[in-house]
Amino acid sequence: MSSPGPERPVVLSLRDISKAFGAVQALRDVSVDCREGEIHALVGENASGKSTLLGIASGFLAPDKGVVEIGGRQRRRGSPAEARRFGLGIAYQTYSHVLDLSVGENLYLAVPASERPTHGRMDRWAASTLEEFRLDVPVQAPVGSLSLAQRQLLEVVKSLLAKPKVLLLDEPTTALGPEAIAQLHALVLERSRSGVGIVYVSHRLPEVLEIADRISVLRDGVKQGTFDATGMTEEALVAHMIGRPLQLAFPERGAAGRAPEVLLDVSGLRGDRFGPVDLKVEKGEILGLAGAEGNGQVQFLRALAGVERPAGKASCDGAEINTRSPTGALRAGIVLLSGDRTTESLFPVLSVRANTTIQVLRSVGRLGFLHRRRERRTVDDMASRLRIRMASIEQPVQSLSGGNQQKVSLTRPFLRGDVKVILADEPTQGVDVGARFDIYEALRAKANEGVALIVKSSDPLELAGLCDRVVVMSRGMIVDEIPGDELGERRIVEAIVGAGPTRAGT
Amino acid sequence: MPLALLAGLILAVGAYTMARQDAFLTQYNINNLLLATMPLALVALGQTSAMLVGGFDVSVAALVTMCVVTASFTLKPDETTLALFLGSLAILGVGLATGIFNATLIRVLRLPSIIATLGTLSILEGAALLLRDHPEGPINSDVIDALNTSVGFMPVAFIGVIVLVVLADLCLYRTRTGMAVRAVGLDETSARRLGMSTGRIVFFAFVVCSLMASIAGFYEAAQVQIGSPIIGDYALTSIAAAVLGGASLAGGRGSFIGTLLAALFLSEIDNVLPLFQQPTEYAQMTIGVLILLALVLYQAPQLIARWRSGRQTVGRLQAADGEAPVASTTR
Repeated sequence: MSSPGPERPVVLSLRDISKAFGAVQALRDVSVDCREGEIHALVGENASGKSTLLGIASGFLAPDKGVVEIGGRQRRRGSPAEARRFGLGIAYQTYSHVLDLSVGENLYLAVPASERPTHGRMDRWAASTLEEFRLDVPVQAPVGSLSLAQRQLLEVVKSLLAKPKVLLLDEPTTALGPEAIAQLHALVLERSRSGVGIVYVSHRLPEVLEIADRISVLRDGVKQGTFDATGMTEEALVAHMIGRPLQLAFPERGAAGRAPEVLLDVSGLRGDRFGPVDLKVEKGEILGLAGAEGNGQVQFLRALAGVERPAGKASCDGAEINTRSPTGALRAGIVLLSGDRTTESLFPVLSVRANTTIQVLRSVGRLGFLHRRRERRTVDDMASRLRIRMASIEQPVQSLSGGNQQKVSLTRPFLRGDVKVILADEPTQGVDVGARFDIYEALRAKANEGVALIVKSSDPLELAGLCDRVVVMSRGMIVDEIPGDELGERRIVEAIVGAGPTRAGT
Repeated sequence: MPLALLAGLILAVGAYTMARQDAFLTQYNINNLLLATMPLALVALGQTSAMLVGGFDVSVAALVTMCVVTASFTLKPDETTLALFLGSLAILGVGLATGIFNATLIRVLRLPSIIATLGTLSILEGAALLLRDHPEGPINSDVIDALNTSVGFMPVAFIGVIVLVVLADLCLYRTRTGMAVRAVGLDETSARRLGMSTGRIVFFAFVVCSLMASIAGFYEAAQVQIGSPIIGDYALTSIAAAVLGGASLAGGRGSFIGTLLAALFLSEIDNVLPLFQQPTEYAQMTIGVLILLALVLYQAPQLIARWRSGRQTVGRLQAADGEAPVASTTR
């Protein structure tokens, strides 16, 4: 890896970029530049602003403030088409494939007019292009039929078709095995030697340290610095990534010495983007589910809850769970608290009262009619127990703050007497710090009642403070397990960023 | 698949009728059938272009009416050729203006296409009634004759439409432009990431839709021959024809040839039932049943695939390879 001298021209310059989504400040005055022939890595935790920054560089998102220059030319309109004209190629983390079109057609759409063959020769041209990149996929197959790894490599090939001067790669290895990663890295190094500036976004620090010349670290939308890769260590990078002053409070862990009793037993469960997964969760235990976004954690939880159909076995309290529908999972006592609470679990226009009792109407009714007084009492009781802050229980849920909304969705497992397992997907996402403790406490209270919990979170600090044990998922599989006495934010982050291909490859 | 199925249906219904009713396969009747197909075919072709980019245009119904009403003012009997030419341009102008209006609502103001065009539908309906509160104002007969010019049983205009749909399908499936249109309908985010001007493509598709409806207005005028403010509802029928022809309600899929065949088929049913002295209500019901059948048939491969994979991942009762999927639908 030859470190390019500073005299080399800058091919991509992002200056003082700020961007907010609603109330969330995703980026604050971030400046990053990439020189000709340089591999510039961009690292940071989930939601630190990496993808937003790339979206702005590629013209897909418009910055609130700041300047983007590609190949020395300042962008004016900020559309992906313009960025491509200026010589920018990008491989999106979520891809730019049209899944219903064939591989050949997708390549054809991605190639600029000057390089485009006539339509009649499209398939032959596509086949030779794929061969040139040593990618073995059928040209006429719809992209939707390819494996995720093939789609990911195809995305990189597409980004290179226009022979860009600067290439952005957003998490290009999430779906790849060790061999494919080596192949991709060889390609990236070859392009950088021929003068292409490359911005490489990844959360896998070993990969980053292996390939990058310089590394910029983002945390909570703010750049923590740009460092030379030589002499940099994983440890030091992690320190820059997490360094967080705010210390959160967590409830006491469960009473020790309780006889371990397995409640949820998952074996060989697999489905879209995950598996096979073997996992046991004990009564009264809070198990944390860690991993970089998009490594199958959400799919795993949803499959357990019967929202997506998995293969393999899962049993709860000795009885096999019917994972073919949410109803089957509910019958087995499994409740999913969806990460997307406003669209998937709450009825935003309905009142707190209606949202609280909707699953347990029978218990607050009499002869098929609602017993208003009993319902009110139940809701008031729940509201004070979870400290839901609201003007009245008739207030529509959508008018509450994020934290209080989440508490309302938490009331449901409390009201059902038959809950055995709670699957919580990002229980504190969008929740202010004050309300977080209430939610942690509520979850811990459920655990102390003998419920088993799996908490998926992208916040390592939260997992370290809340959970009894944490498992780490990478590429759909559990690659690491951290017992209670080893739990710590640093240990979790290291497990996530260190989740290299070697440990994942089974 | 839709194409073969539709062609088969058209021929089957034709053959059945021919064997029983002498009046069907006459030069006069076939010529009539094809001319009667023209307005629906043109509207449905426009609708197909809107649906390809993932939208709907329900305002076409009122736009056809509006164009007929306009024609009763601008294509009066005893006008000079020049006046008639300008009058025709005025009708196309109504279509173009409507198209730009719709496209602006949808692309610039970001309204859902079905709601935006519903608004336009109401506006145009009201405007048409304002201009003609009852059928009035004959259409210039020279213009009607010109529109209906036929060689034997075949209207010249119908030949034109055939050429148009073949070219349009070639463009859709054999050029990058067509591919881009489909890509926008299939996955707008990816299309935009690939640097396509998605906005322009959608805008263009809706303008084409309205223009086609205004051309349909000419042929509708040739059929009713008077400035009538109450014309058949082309909005839903045109969507039905496009869907029967293979268009997807979700966008990105469709075929102009298929739409033309479907329009021809729907007109054939309308044409045939009176020959059997059956009330037209049956035509309506038949069309409804056929649309549902066609949709189920088109989706059958996906349904079977989904059902199979669902069963496999659940992992019980693993079906042996090649087992007929219908044999075990019981749960």
